[in-house]
Amino acid sequence: MRILRFVGRRLLQLIPVLLGVVVLTFLLVRVLPGDPIRSILGPNATEADADAARARFGLDQPMWKQFLDYLQGLFTGDFGTSIQSGGSVGGEMALRLGPTLELVVIAVTIAVLLAIWLGIWSARRADRVGDHTVRIFALFGNSIPEFWLGLVLILVGYATLGWFPAPSGRVDPDTNLTPLTGADLVDALITGNGPAIASSAAHLVLPVLTLVIGVLAPLLRSVRASALEVLRSEAYAAAAAHGLPEKTLLRGYLRRATLVRLPSLAALVFGTALGSTVLIEYVYSWQGFGQWALRGLLYRDYPVVQASVLIIAFAYVLVFLIADVVHAWLDPRVKI
Amino acid sequence: MAALEMVPVVSGSRDGRFAKILIWTGGTILVVVALAAIFAPLLSSWGPKEIDPNGTLAAPGGEHLLGSDGNGMDVWSRVLHAARIDLGIAICAVALAVVVGTLLGMLAGYLGGWVDDGLMRIVDIFQAFPTFILALAVSALLGGGFVNLVITIAAVNAPAYARLVRAEVRTLREMQYIDAAKTSGASTIGIMWRHLLPNSLTPVRVIAPLNCGWAMLTLAGLSFLGLGVTVPTAEWGSMISLGTSDVVAGRWWTSVPPGLALLVCVLGFSLLGEGLQERAEARRR
Repeated sequence: MRILRFVGRRLLQLIPVLLGVVVLTFLLVRVLPGDPIRSILGPNATEADADAARARFGLDQPMWKQFLDYLQGLFTGDFGTSIQSGGSVGGEMALRLGPTLELVVIAVTIAVLLAIWLGIWSARRADRVGDHTVRIFALFGNSIPEFWLGLVLILVGYATLGWFPAPSGRVDPDTNLTPLTGADLVDALITGNGPAIASSAAHLVLPVLTLVIGVLAPLLRSVRASALEVLRSEAYAAAAAHGLPEKTLLRGYLRRATLVRLPSLAALVFGTALGSTVLIEYVYSWQGFGQWALRGLLYRDYPVVQASVLIIAFAYVLVFLIADVVHAWLDPRVKI
Repeated sequence: MAALEMVPVVSGSRDGRFAKILIWTGGTILVVVALAAIFAPLLSSWGPKEIDPNGTLAAPGGEHLLGSDGNGMDVWSRVLHAARIDLGIAICAVALAVVVGTLLGMLAGYLGGWVDDGLMRIVDIFQAFPTFILALAVSALLGGGFVNLVITIAAVNAPAYARLVRAEVRTLREMQYIDAAKTSGASTIGIMWRHLLPNSLTPVRVIAPLNCGWAMLTLAGLSFLGLGVTVPTAEWGSMISLGTSDVVAGRWWTSVPPGLALLVCVLGFSLLGEGLQERAEARRR
């Protein structure tokens, strides 16, 4: 019950932030230079053609009228019509979110599990060779440009060894996969399409690996730091002095206490992963949300820019909210 | 690519020897990169934009030390010259972010009230986005070029500094020496300038080098997507982007060297930052 009240209160606090995002994107995308209409018309279009096109998308209306229309659309779940493609922005977005979420969720999950295991391992060997190796690795991970790492993996995994498919899509089109959620591996599993399962899994390996290496480093550093803090705490020293078996110490004391700080960091990492996927999707021609949003941004496709910015902000703040709930659940000292 | 965040390091060693090694290694790397940037024209026989008409995609060795790219430009020369623009933009952007962020943070923290409320709500909106996405959006709207890129990267980072300095100032504000200064008739600006500014910069000093590394990665990422620095100007991200199709064909030399240079340079900043952070923590104990 208390949790529900807490979530409700936090959701209410989100409203002004999201409203700010809506207003700001709406204004900025229109005020700053760039014209979406000119980019869809050919070079020979006359001023009259441009005016007609503008009227078709309601861009001839005064700014406040456009804003009210947009807001009204938002409340009815209508994100508008894409100027580039003429399709419904909501529908296009739904198709693009699946592939990107598949990538991010798999990578962040793997990275979190790896970070917990490796971080605790490293903290227990503090200031010895193994620990220094892990720290140096984390520094490398923090410093590596992911898009370049993606290219290096393509160079090795595809161009040299030939173990993985070419970076030009998410699944082999010959497998006739029926798209349901957009996340190809999930779709293949649901429809029981054997070849598609193999093909989409093979396509996932390199991009997921790229993303894992990119997001692992900050998680690893944080797990290591909080594990060290626990190891040096009086509570842990007392438990160890009582002669508790190693297993109980590790599971009951070290692991749980270490995990307390992880949720908020995992949320932060989810955000950086969203940013990185724009680059990684580009490298692997993933045709996901990132590429769609980038294209919209480059062509000043107002409805697409507005929708994608809003969704990213919403997802990001929502993940932080989930992180706070998980934190409260892990740490009984937190009062919410 | 982790943005501004204070992840505690908590060193294992108590004597700070490891911190010293980190600072020295990072510093050395950065000095070498800076020297390479300054003396780039002396270290390469080709100009960074010079086109070799009978040598596109030439393999390394021979006339081109690291080969040439699809435009027939010398990769080694471009990798060296790119350090100028990459370092230049990153350092200018972080400096600007520190100045603006510190100023806003001090105002919000010391004055409180509606100034604080207003500024922090704006910071909230900025921080409702992953930083790279924000940089992407701002630079797509503002356009490329040195000044615009500096503004973009600074704008994305300034809110974090504002928040950091604000928190620091709010603790400092309650200190007795501030009261003492007030009773002896110091002006608000005097207190801010002489007492709050120097003391609130401690965490900023530790974070700024890490942030420089992040700024370089952001800049390269933007250029990779075609939003930052564009060909023919030598920049690591756009060089990597130009080599994308070569990689699929198995040609490594157009995109691997610029990426390695970027990695090494960012690593220099990371090592320096980590060392500084570890030393700061050791002092606190």
